Amino acid sequence: MNRLLITLGIIAVVFVVAPLVIVVPMSFSNARSLQFPPPGYWLGYYHAYFTDMRWLRPTWNSIIIAAGTTVLTMILVVPATFALVRHRFAGKSFADVMLLMPLAVPHIVMAVGYYSYLGMFGLVQTHLGVILAHTCLSVPIAFLVLSANLKGFDRTLERAAQSLGASPVRTFIHVTLPILKPGLIISALFAFIQSFDETVVAIFISGRNAETLPRKMFDSIRQEADPVIAVVSTLLFALVLAGIVLPPLLKSLRSRVTPAPAAQALSTAENQS
Amino acid sequence: MQATIAKLAERPNLWPWLLLTPLAIYLAVFFLVPLANVVFMSFTEPRLTLANYERVLTGALYQRVFVNTFATAALVTAVCLLVGYPLAFLMTRSSPRTAMLILTLVTMSFWTSFLVRTYAWMVLLGDSGPIIGFLKAIGIEQPPHLLFTRFSSTLAMVHILAPYMIMNIYSVMRKIDPVLIRSAQSLGARGAALFRHVYLPLTAPGIANGSVLVFVICLGFYVTPVLLGSPREQMIAGLIGTEIEEFLAFGRGSAMAIILLLITLVILTIYHRRFGLDKLWG
Repeated sequence: MNRLLITLGIIAVVFVVAPLVIVVPMSFSNARSLQFPPPGYWLGYYHAYFTDMRWLRPTWNSIIIAAGTTVLTMILVVPATFALVRHRFAGKSFADVMLLMPLAVPHIVMAVGYYSYLGMFGLVQTHLGVILAHTCLSVPIAFLVLSANLKGFDRTLERAAQSLGASPVRTFIHVTLPILKPGLIISALFAFIQSFDETVVAIFISGRNAETLPRKMFDSIRQEADPVIAVVSTLLFALVLAGIVLPPLLKSLRSRVTPAPAAQALSTAENQS
Repeated sequence: MQATIAKLAERPNLWPWLLLTPLAIYLAVFFLVPLANVVFMSFTEPRLTLANYERVLTGALYQRVFVNTFATAALVTAVCLLVGYPLAFLMTRSSPRTAMLILTLVTMSFWTSFLVRTYAWMVLLGDSGPIIGFLKAIGIEQPPHLLFTRFSSTLAMVHILAPYMIMNIYSVMRKIDPVLIRSAQSLGARGAALFRHVYLPLTAPGIANGSVLVFVICLGFYVTPVLLGSPREQMIAGLIGTEIEEFLAFGRGSAMAIILLLITLVILTIYHRRFGLDKLWG
C-alpha cells in the first residue's frame, strides 16, 4: 500500500512540475507556433515584448490597477479588521460572513454584475472601474491574512506602553504598527497579487483603454498564441520563483552574519512554529 | 486617563461601527448592488419576465451545459484527489528537506498565474508538442487530437486546482499522530485494512476540505475551459460569457449566473453547517 502511494506520489510531482518548466525553453524558441522541442533558440521574442506597446501598455495598466487596488483595499480592511478582531458587538458574525462573501461568488457572476453596473456610471474600460471591482475581490484575502496576524497579537505590549504613559495614538504608532508590519505587508502583497492575476472580471470590464496583462494574455492565447506569450509567462514565473525562493535564502544568509547563538535561537524557534 | 477609560467604557459599541463603516459602504455599493443588479436583470431583460429562467432551466442546450459542468467538476475533483492524496502522502514520508522541496514546487504552481499554466498545457498537448511527438516516435501513425477537447481542459483544470487539494490534505496528514498508526499495527492492522480503517478516516477532513474547494471553484471556471476546451462542450461560465459578449442576452446570462451562484452558495452553506467555512480558506 505504502509503495503504491509513494509511486503515485512521484508521478504526481512530475505532473505538477512539468507544465511550469516547459514555458521557459518556449520563451527562447524561434518557432512561430507552439512547437516543442523548439527548432532553435534566440532572444527575439524578449526583444519583441520589451519594445511592443501592445504588451507594455497592458503590463503598465496591470501594475497601476493592482497598486490602486492594494491602497484602497488596505484603507478599507485595516480599520475593519481591528473592529472585528478586537471588539465584540451585535452583528459581528454577520459582518464576518459578509467580508468573506466575495470569495464565495464565482468571478463570472461578478463580471456579469460589473459589466452593466459600472457601465451606468461610465466606469467600464477605465482604470478606476477595474480598481473598484478588484478591491471587492481583494478585501476578503487581505482580511484573512491580517486578522490571523492580529489574533496572534500580544496585547500586553500595548498595555505596557500605556501604563508607562503613552497615549492610545502614540501606542498605536510606536507599538502596534511596528509589530503588525509584517502582517500588513503580506496582506497588502496578497491584495496586489490577487488584482494583478485576476482575469475574468478584467476580460469583461477592462476594455481597450484599461486592458490588463491577463486580459491581453487571454486574447492572445485565444487568437492562436502570439509567441510573446511564452516570454510573458516566463517573466511571471520568474517573479513567482523569486518571491518563493528568495525570502528563505536571504534569511539564511542574514542569519549567518548575525551572532551564532541568536541565529540558533531564531532558527529553532522557526522550526518549532 | 481614568476619565477617558470610563468614557470609552460607556460607549463600547460605537468604535467598531465607526471602523467598519467605510468598508460596509464600499461592499454595499460595489458588491451587493452589482449582485442585486444581476438578479434584477435576470427578471427584467429584455422585459419583466420569467422566460429567462424557463429557457435556461428547460432548454436542451442549457441542460446539457449544466450536466456537463457538474460532470466535469466531479471528474476534476476525483482526479485532483487521485493526484493530491499520494503526493501529500509522499511528503509525509520524505525527509524534511525533500518534503520542503515538494511543498515549494506545489506552492510555486499555486502562485503561477493560471493563464501561464493554461498556456503551458497548450504547448504540452499541442499537435507539435512533446506528447504527440512521443506518440509519433513510438510508431503511432495518427495520434489523437488532444488540444481543444474535454480531455485537455479537464487535465489543465486538474493541474490548476491540484495545489488546493494537496495543501488541504497535507495539512491534515502532517498532524496525524504516528502513535495511532503504530497502535493500529500492534493490534494487527496491515496494508489495505490499516489504510481503510485507520489512515483514510484520519485524513477525511482534509479530503472533504480539498474536494469542496476544488468542486466549487471548478463549477465557476471560465478561463481554462474557454481556452482549452471543446467549443461544443462548454461549461456554465463559458456559456454565460458567450450569451453576454456575443448575443448581448443579459437576461439569460444573468439567470444562469444566479443559478450558478445559488448552487455554489448551497454547497458552501451545507459545508459551513458541518465544518465551518473559515477553515476552507484558513
